[in-house]
Amino acid sequence: MSIKLTVKQRADTIGTLRFVSVFLMETLARWIPATPEMEVKMLLSRQVWRMAQQADRLGKRARELRAPLHYSRPPRQEFLAALKQLAAISDTTDRIDAFHDVALSALAAAHKRYLAETDRLTDEPTVMICEQALTEIEVMKRERNDWGSEIPKSRATDSPALKAVRQAVAAASKEIVDHSEQAA
Amino acid sequence: MDQFETKMVRGVTMRKDPAREACFTVADTDDQMISWPEWTDESKRERIHRHMNNEMSTTEVAAQCLCDFPDAPWELRMELARQVWDESRHAMGLYRRLKELGGRKGEFPVANFEWAVSSYLDSVVGRITVMNRTFEAGTMDLMAFIPDGWRENGDPQTAELLDAIAADEIHHVRFANHWVHKLCAENKRNLLKVAQAVRFMDMAQKALTPPPGTTNLVGVSVEDVAQSAPINVADRQLADFTDDEIAVLLKQHDLESLVTGQETRT
Repeated sequence: MSIKLTVKQRADTIGTLRFVSVFLMETLARWIPATPEMEVKMLLSRQVWRMAQQADRLGKRARELRAPLHYSRPPRQEFLAALKQLAAISDTTDRIDAFHDVALSALAAAHKRYLAETDRLTDEPTVMICEQALTEIEVMKRERNDWGSEIPKSRATDSPALKAVRQAVAAASKEIVDHSEQAA
Repeated sequence: MDQFETKMVRGVTMRKDPAREACFTVADTDDQMISWPEWTDESKRERIHRHMNNEMSTTEVAAQCLCDFPDAPWELRMELARQVWDESRHAMGLYRRLKELGGRKGEFPVANFEWAVSSYLDSVVGRITVMNRTFEAGTMDLMAFIPDGWRENGDPQTAELLDAIAADEIHHVRFANHWVHKLCAENKRNLLKVAQAVRFMDMAQKALTPPPGTTNLVGVSVEDVAQSAPINVADRQLADFTDDEIAVLLKQHDLESLVTGQETRT
């Protein structure tokens, strides 16, 4: 038997996943009044609640790992910069794709990495939270195309802004957790 | 809180309207709106259309609170996030019904008064006081009667839709009541924020109310289509208004005799 992650490392990852979930919730919330299309506002609103619930579950789990309740830990600088670049997108179709395709894919990859690293028995409460998040991420990604007849389809070719965000997130998402002391 | 753009309407500075599609004509005051007292097919669509925009606007107020007040208690932010989802489902339900009745987005002018007033305020306690505890609670009063109006006019489907919406709104008022009391108990400065918010809302409402005799875009007197209702005591109790608070509201409506033992909707 080998326990790969310490309790502190688990808490750090949970705190980082929570930070990202809250960041995305706030990004969606900021886009809602600023996006003209009614059905798009409503699609983003659904995802606000889903991201909030994911953050809530992670925040409660953090306390079980000797971290404060709703512990939030900023990710590595490169990933945070990429998230901020994503949040600055202003075109409606780009916003939809930046969240559903780019951000959610990066978040799913982070959950999967954690599941691969942690001990599924001793850390089973976190495992369940991550698996639930992955299921919800799949639902949200499906809703991008299936929910509402007036949601604009993705462009055949990415706009320069979306392309840049896609590249920035891809480059920064190999490891998002900052285990250094100053990130705490 | 980020800087935001403002607009001035009849001398009142408020938050600039949220983004709307080009099909919508955005009005500031009731005389720029369309509304009829009769229950024609067109008037039914206008009622749904107006309500749909109001739900969209409330979605936007709650969403804006989430990004403007990142340091608000997490449990309150969870309530606001849930409200964002609820209000969006209400807007979509009304949009679905509007299309079933042959209507379309942008068919009538819309106004975002509740957004313009609520989102101008610089505190979360002020915003939930105005948006949830005042505007939404006022809607709760109206909703004690509006579904019956639809039933009486041959549209039980819309009545059921509105009743489902009204049930959700009770919780939005309830959580605002809980948090306004809690935040004021924790920090007396929040009482000042609440007072400022209510004063601003009253001032804006008075300034934007058209003078008597004003007509709307279809020549109907604005007073004839203004909506008001007695206090919905039963739902206000469910929304955790205290007996004292309900008594004050009833007194304002000259209904003091109903204060004690009220169990049904007035």
